[in-house]
Amino acid sequence: MVLKDVLTKEARPAFMLGNEAIVRGALEADVKLVAFYPGAPISEVLDTFSAALNEFDYQMEITSNEKVALEVCAGGAFSGVRSLTAMKSVGTNVASDMLFVLGYTGVRGGLVIVMADDPHAHSSQSEEDGRFFAPNSYIPMLEPASPQEAKEMTKRAFEISEKHRVPVIIRTVTRVNHQSGIVQLKDFVRQDFKKVDWKDLQEKYTTLGEIARQRKLQMLKRTQKLSEEFENSEFNFITKADSSIGIITSSVSYLHVLEALKILGLQNKVNILKLGTTFPLPKNLIQNFIKNLKKLVVVEELSPYLEKEVYILAKATNSNLKIFGKLSGTFSEAWEYTPDIVTTGIALVTDHKVPNYRALIAEAKKLKADLPDRYPTFCAGCPHRATFVALNKALKIQVSKGQNHYFANDIGCYSMWIYPPISRSDSSLCMGGGVGLANGLSHVLNERVVAIIGDSTFFHAGIPALVNAVHNGNKFTVFVLDNSVTAMTGQQFNPSTEFIAGGRKGKKVLIEDICKAIGIPFVEVVDSYDVKNNVEVFRRALAFDGLSVIVSRRECALYGDRVKRKHRIPIVPFYVDKSMCKRPYVCLRSFYCPAYELDKDRQPHISLELCDGCSVCSKLCPLNSIKRAGVKT
Amino acid sequence: MSLNVFIGGVGGQGLVLLTRVIGDACARTGIKIITGEMYGLSQRSGAVSVHMRIGDDVFSPLIPVGEADIMIALEAIESLRYIEYLKKDGIVLINKRIMHPPIETSKIVDSKNKIEYFALDQVLSRLNEWTSNIAIVDALKLAKESGNVRTENTVFLGCLSALKIFPIEDTQLKQSITDAVPKKTVEMNLKAFDLGRQYAYDSLCTKVACRK
Repeated sequence: MVLKDVLTKEARPAFMLGNEAIVRGALEADVKLVAFYPGAPISEVLDTFSAALNEFDYQMEITSNEKVALEVCAGGAFSGVRSLTAMKSVGTNVASDMLFVLGYTGVRGGLVIVMADDPHAHSSQSEEDGRFFAPNSYIPMLEPASPQEAKEMTKRAFEISEKHRVPVIIRTVTRVNHQSGIVQLKDFVRQDFKKVDWKDLQEKYTTLGEIARQRKLQMLKRTQKLSEEFENSEFNFITKADSSIGIITSSVSYLHVLEALKILGLQNKVNILKLGTTFPLPKNLIQNFIKNLKKLVVVEELSPYLEKEVYILAKATNSNLKIFGKLSGTFSEAWEYTPDIVTTGIALVTDHKVPNYRALIAEAKKLKADLPDRYPTFCAGCPHRATFVALNKALKIQVSKGQNHYFANDIGCYSMWIYPPISRSDSSLCMGGGVGLANGLSHVLNERVVAIIGDSTFFHAGIPALVNAVHNGNKFTVFVLDNSVTAMTGQQFNPSTEFIAGGRKGKKVLIEDICKAIGIPFVEVVDSYDVKNNVEVFRRALAFDGLSVIVSRRECALYGDRVKRKHRIPIVPFYVDKSMCKRPYVCLRSFYCPAYELDKDRQPHISLELCDGCSVCSKLCPLNSIKRAGVKT
Repeated sequence: MSLNVFIGGVGGQGLVLLTRVIGDACARTGIKIITGEMYGLSQRSGAVSVHMRIGDDVFSPLIPVGEADIMIALEAIESLRYIEYLKKDGIVLINKRIMHPPIETSKIVDSKNKIEYFALDQVLSRLNEWTSNIAIVDALKLAKESGNVRTENTVFLGCLSALKIFPIEDTQLKQSITDAVPKKTVEMNLKAFDLGRQYAYDSLCTKVACRK
């Protein structure tokens, strides 16, 4: 991240990530309160705001989950303060309880909710199409295609929000959040942050029964007004051509369409309607666009959200229109679009020759035969790897005693236990889902249920399920892998860190204190790196006739490296003393550290550039042949 | 004019910084650039890639299949993982270094048969079926020579800067490096850049057109 581009007051072009452009747009709009829970692909919005916090006057929280983040921002917006949150759409599931009532109550100030979908599930558990939140909650939605548009829409969203007293969703996809491009920066003036008096602003934010019924009517009127306003939005634009073929598209698909038309030699030869306001839709604009067309291609990722609306509108205006999209089988609802997918679809509809993508991909596939996979894996020095080695040993002992296990994984770096070469998890679903599931499984399975959860996930959604287990007397074992930060999304601070947004000092909340306070009878805290001693502690937790919790604690290796660099603490790597190594491969089996490689004669050695100096492999070696580099024995 | 550069590598190798440096130089000199970045998860050792598109005539953040002019592989195996993006006879700048994923090592250890690692000559012979314009860069060696082992990415930027089809001046790239890297590593990064550029002149410019 080039922070200076986000901070500069100069009006000039800058190379920016979509997420940075969103932050820049919010700063230009003088945002005063922001709150986030991290998650790919929106984490850099949080990171950028956190890095800029000491330069500008706004309030920021890294919250325990997305619902709290939205509530923090709603608090700001009820008081007339411009507020912004960003979340991946699976996070919106968590926040949706609040989202739906905010549709009813509306807000006074500007409230902008950036919601990122992840077509292709690059870093998510599903390909959820979050667009449906907008019509379902009657909250307007804008969809940018590029970083420049993301910045402009963020600014406008605050104005729309204030004018119509409603939250505004900016819906992105990974290829917008993680797209970089040239963004024109505007100069801006920021006001000092000032608290306000509720007595000057006071109004009711309630909704229930008769109040809700009345608010529903208001909400419908508001949506009608927005729909009329969006007919003239600068974010919807038509590129006209002398043709009976048209394309309706939105989001990053618009950019793929432009690319496809270039490839097919169809630039300026097909009509295009690019939609930026995708709820409520500008119906007149769409009807005018389609009324004289013979063929229409709808290019959008995931569900046929626009396409179905277009079908309804075409019935009234142009019932002979041939519509090509997902419903016609031209495109798939699965996976993200690419220039070649869009080119192929448009070529078929316009009777153009499809470029030879299939042959190229098939030829490439041959060259990739037996190519080693590079699954996500635990970093060198990762404390989770150490926890899992000890846990594996403890599980083996218990199996030998007749206890078998169900393994409920959760969402975090430890999810990677589902990948080869380890591949050990019976389930891995959603935030906190493992502990909730363990409650149910403990009723019906003969096996001991083991739930794995991280510190951030514990605070996010794990606690209610754990309280439930105590209250109902459910018996299972929970391992809380506490690495002090939300590691998988870029080591953001969370309640288990002693820092808060902007690197300021905060209060670290101890997981074991919560567990003890709610009455869990077996709570033990261990150092993840202490593999030898941990085996027996873990085994006792598994054998315990009741609810047992292990907190395995050691900071994330990447976060630890940053701290070490800051305090100039050297990282001292290890090496294998080949004279002592008899190659039992204990260091490799079930450990699989990326710093390890084999020589030509299958002798293990450690790559000094990659070794993090965690020492765990040296503790596992039965021959004591793994030694700290530079230390003589 | 348009130029497509596909960059593949492994998490922790500095692909993102490399992208920032080029993008920043483009912003300063009025050249259009779009990139599509795939970070993977925030860990080291996973596959990471960047689609980089420079010029007025580019729209999508993703390179269409078969249209990359240049492939940069900061790790050798990764060159093949995305080979369909490269033009036939496109230019490949490939790191000599292979970082074997743990799953590959585990297969060797756990197998009773004698399995070997996927080797550089296998990568090269397969690449040769697609293109002959390949430069093998011993980036780790050059990075060490610069005084900082973490400058492999800058070595590659130096190589790239020598190519005639790459439209950004080396002085602009050096300015961006100076702005983007930590202060105490500026000198080492600039040295790594020069070493990379010189390497390209010595080993690649006999096959493809280079800047004077």
